[in-house]
Amino acid sequence: MRAIKSVLLRSLASFTGDKIRLVFTFITPFFFMFIFSFTMKSAPAGLMQPMNYLLSGIIIMTVFQTALNNSMGIIDDIASGFMKEIIVAPVPRWQISIGQVLASMIIAVIQGLMLLIIGFFIGFRLDPPHVAGLVGVMVLVGFTFSSIGLFLASLTKSSSAFQVMVSVIVLPLTLVSGALIPVTALPSFLKPLFFFNPLSYTASIFRFISLKMENLPVDELIKQGVAFQLGSFIITPQAALLIIVLMSALFFGLCVHRFNEADFSSVKTFKHHH
Amino acid sequence: MPGNIIEVSHYTQKYGDFKAVDDISFNVEEGSIFAFLGPNGAGKSTTINTLCTILSKTDGMLKINGNDVAGHKDRVRADIGIVFQESTLDNNLTVFDNLKLHCDFYNVPYEEVKKRIDFALSLVDMLDWKKSVVKGLSGGMKRRVEIARGLVHFPRVLFLDEPTAGLDAQTRANIWEYIRKLQKQKNITIFMTTHYMEEAEICDHLAIIDHGKIAANGTLYDLKRKYSSSVTRIMTGDTAALRGYLDARSVDFKEDGGLITFHSNNTELVLDIASRFKSSITDLEINKGTLNDVYLSITGKEVRS
Repeated sequence: MRAIKSVLLRSLASFTGDKIRLVFTFITPFFFMFIFSFTMKSAPAGLMQPMNYLLSGIIIMTVFQTALNNSMGIIDDIASGFMKEIIVAPVPRWQISIGQVLASMIIAVIQGLMLLIIGFFIGFRLDPPHVAGLVGVMVLVGFTFSSIGLFLASLTKSSSAFQVMVSVIVLPLTLVSGALIPVTALPSFLKPLFFFNPLSYTASIFRFISLKMENLPVDELIKQGVAFQLGSFIITPQAALLIIVLMSALFFGLCVHRFNEADFSSVKTFKHHH
Repeated sequence: MPGNIIEVSHYTQKYGDFKAVDDISFNVEEGSIFAFLGPNGAGKSTTINTLCTILSKTDGMLKINGNDVAGHKDRVRADIGIVFQESTLDNNLTVFDNLKLHCDFYNVPYEEVKKRIDFALSLVDMLDWKKSVVKGLSGGMKRRVEIARGLVHFPRVLFLDEPTAGLDAQTRANIWEYIRKLQKQKNITIFMTTHYMEEAEICDHLAIIDHGKIAANGTLYDLKRKYSSSVTRIMTGDTAALRGYLDARSVDFKEDGGLITFHSNNTELVLDIASRFKSSITDLEINKGTLNDVYLSITGKEVRS
């Protein structure tokens, strides 16, 4: 527990220590929200509660991107050499991983919560049980994508490579996830991509809660783009939740594996003058 | 008789087809200073990385304090402290916070943390810098903080990978001083790698490694005895008599004015000369062979770096 706590606190401290990054992390989603709330004034046909639709999309996208990006911190640790101090310590590898993942998740969730609060002022309408549900999903999504980010970061050789990788991954994933553009509006050739996209399931469960759809029949859920038909099989939002849980377990396991196997000595370090 | 804290037998490390370390075996006695001397790329850091559990061996058996480094990683990790060649401090934290973090990782009892940090920092004369952010420290200071951090959890073995590489002469001398002090005060075993002859001089036991193989292994004293010869210089008023004596025993010597110089490890010979020519000798000096001589005679070349 002590090691988890110290890894966690250190990661949080190095995040809040980087003031410029901190400011931008928190400002960017507000721009999104601002721009999209204007566009959404003219709501696309067939969508109920356009404001909730839009805000939930922006929130989940923000949480997922932040979580993915935050894990980049370990590349700096690898490059600065500090990672060696961690990997030679007598600390079980899962504790190192969980400390890192929790730190990046916490920042992502805080950011999501801030957006949620702003959302209430500009027309997000939810009751407490739904809010609790959303926070729960944010935590899960934060954990999942922090693990994915940490795993990807442990594979890359430099922070610029990681940044390129993330931006190459993030945009397409976001666009075909249904987070911003309704899945029903996607052209059919993009559908396979949709099903392989972890973000699709995340957006589905998040939207299911934020649009208060628990009383809708399945065929209506499919029409609204929160349940998906794959042949004769229907992925309900509940099944989507399970898929995310499995995915987070998978990627967390992969992170632990990386910390077990990697010596991180191949990562380019900057030569310091002694 | 202290036991061996590090035992290595038939250790081999391959990177692809390249053998970085080729079937080496050695032991390190508890409480001693052991040095791996060799040029860059000889396999020193590779061996340290494997002993420190961050590199998986290709073959062989490596044990620290009786624990297999491949099988009992956490036990081995708890027993050792490491100062890597390059800095592994968190540059954004203070000296104190870096050491505190280390105490958390190594589960140092909470009530002892402050006391131990003060002890470790005072050993390397860095107590006054406790609250400074690491980023602002000089290279030498950072290295001292790393040494303090490496021992704040009281490891059984402290690994120092090229502890003074890149530092100035004064700082290097200080660090050797700290290392000696450390070994005396805490009876800690120190395993270091170096490509500096002067640095290897502070060890008790030495292994010369080159091209992944151990070329020689023994105490500093034994190696010098075996691979180098003492130089004796005698100033005498009666060079002819001494010349005749040395010629009779076929000892090669050089003569320069009244000064006769010869190489020999035979102490009795020198004592005999001293007593025989007591009246004519005005000055006598014996210099033990240097590590450089040892290195040259073993590898046939100067240390490449």
